[in-house]
Amino acid sequence: MDRQQIGLKLAVEGLKLPFLINTFDDRLILQKAVYLAQAAGVNLGYYYHWYLHGPYSPSLTRDEYAIGFERGQGVDDSEGWKLDDESAGRLEKLKNLIPKSNRPEVRRKLELLASVHFLINRRQVRQNDAREITATLKRFEKNFSEEEVQNALRELIDYGLLAA
Amino acid sequence: MVSSQHDDSAKHVVDSIHGNIHLTNREVQVIDTSSFQRLRQLKQLAMAQLVYPTATHTRFSHSIGALGTMIRILEAAKKHGLEISDEQNDNLRLAALLHDIGHYPYSHLMEKVDEVKLIEEQVEGVPVTKSIDARKSKYPEHEEVGEFIVTGQDDLVKAIGGEERAKAVADIFTRAETADPQLSKFIHSSFDIDRWDYLLRDSYATGVPYGHIDINYLLNNLRVSPKGMVGFSEKALSAVEHLLLARFFMHRTVYYHKTTYGLEETCRQLLRRLRDREDSKYRYGVPVDGNEIKKIVTSKKLNTFSDAFVDRIIRKAVNDKDKVIRSLAHSIQSRKPPKLLKEVPVCEETEKQYHAGKWFMQNCRAKLKNLADEFQIPLQQFLLCDLKANILKRPEGLTSGQAAQMGSEQIRERAFEEEEEDIKIFVGNDEEPTSLMDIEYSLVVKYADYFFQMFRLYVVYEGEDRDEVVSQLHAKVKGWDKA
Repeated sequence: MDRQQIGLKLAVEGLKLPFLINTFDDRLILQKAVYLAQAAGVNLGYYYHWYLHGPYSPSLTRDEYAIGFERGQGVDDSEGWKLDDESAGRLEKLKNLIPKSNRPEVRRKLELLASVHFLINRRQVRQNDAREITATLKRFEKNFSEEEVQNALRELIDYGLLAA
Repeated sequence: MVSSQHDDSAKHVVDSIHGNIHLTNREVQVIDTSSFQRLRQLKQLAMAQLVYPTATHTRFSHSIGALGTMIRILEAAKKHGLEISDEQNDNLRLAALLHDIGHYPYSHLMEKVDEVKLIEEQVEGVPVTKSIDARKSKYPEHEEVGEFIVTGQDDLVKAIGGEERAKAVADIFTRAETADPQLSKFIHSSFDIDRWDYLLRDSYATGVPYGHIDINYLLNNLRVSPKGMVGFSEKALSAVEHLLLARFFMHRTVYYHKTTYGLEETCRQLLRRLRDREDSKYRYGVPVDGNEIKKIVTSKKLNTFSDAFVDRIIRKAVNDKDKVIRSLAHSIQSRKPPKLLKEVPVCEETEKQYHAGKWFMQNCRAKLKNLADEFQIPLQQFLLCDLKANILKRPEGLTSGQAAQMGSEQIRERAFEEEEEDIKIFVGNDEEPTSLMDIEYSLVVKYADYFFQMFRLYVVYEGEDRDEVVSQLHAKVKGWDKA
């Protein structure tokens, strides 16, 4: 594992998420959780662009598999490493944004939060227009209601990921 | 060599790989910007010219070549029914031309500084705080830097035709939200313009023949389905497999050459050690974080962000007060590459848990500190490397056992994220193509179950007794690949 991969593994642990990449839901959850961690100021060095299910980082996928591969071989280079206290604190707070429900629900919520944040952050939509955001998401075949989008906006603001 | 045709061409350049490449007026304007001309100062293969003397080609020639490849692919695809607008066509050509505009000095070498682990962070017995400071912004990936430059440098924005157009072009090579995934695929995929050109160009420049892919046969057998999927006819399967194997062989032979890689790793370690210094005066200009990189590439300083940027750092570091820094810098500057003490190549099935490489890394971690003490060589002058190269990445990392239990549709559905890696083959008279992964008789698909890694230990040592010391070190680590 290189330093970036170690940082990734520590961040996922900080969010109290299992490092799973076996299913599509597993990988989507990791992608969106890392996106939100970066949005919260935990710099892990992944560059996201928009793909079929919202923000997606190819280099994160590569690192997920690299870590998964090493774990499969019984190697864990992250032992003895830690994140700086401030970033660990940010993850501690952010972990409460992740619901403790079943994986499909976790996936749906993280996909919504990350997608809304990405579209606003990249100036594709206006933050104060939930209807426009909902319509934009629909254009990308994401079936979220306006109410869900409004809730997502509120939570992103509450957690400091978007300015009020 | 084939000449690319363009009826409205303003100029043409003669390229050693693709022959005449015809440029539009806008492309000429883009190439003539100072931001684009910077690419002349970035060597395509970083330090490979220290081993292959003629490998001095640049990102500039590769970028022109990528445009030449794009022109040829678009011509072939349109001949077989690909329907794209003139604007899409022009944007794709510009995206090809600009796809590497964001490269760092010495390319991936400097870009990957955040990933570098120092030896004292890897071995046992050294009291060191192993901490990742995630408050610091990381060096952005070169595609992101490219976006900053294409949308942030006035000369390029103007040459491309305004902010909106510049964003549309950047969106293609960064695969952003507004780009058509099918179009971005021409830039990033296993059959992309980038790989096609660099394999041919790097082969030509180094004299190593493994990258000579059969580009003409691939282009002649390019097909487009009624649904717009682009792939190759089945009879070009060998050419497709050769493309994938060529990449693997070029990695093993050129990109991971023991001397080139050793020098580049020495430079990475040097940059990381300098960047971590508290006193900016003694960082000698190494950008402290991603924000500083962004400031450089969006300002007039962009033109200084060339290979010479790193060369200047090395020149200053040669006279540093720290012996380790001096040794690393001097090794690069005087081309006295680190000596390879042991290399353990491993090619095994992905499920294989125990192999020589793993034992080697474990032994290095456990014994290297004592070895350094015994020979009175600073531990920091040992470089422990773990290099990987895939022949073909099986979608979403399935093991062969898992894949065997799934249908091809299921595999594709689960693997959508890596679709860009998935080459399509038109089997028989099928209208829609099949994933290469479904071609049971394909040799490279069988190799997708294997991983290839090289584990290496180098030492940077310049004492007068170098040969004798290295010989003794060789003997000491000889059996470290065993349990």
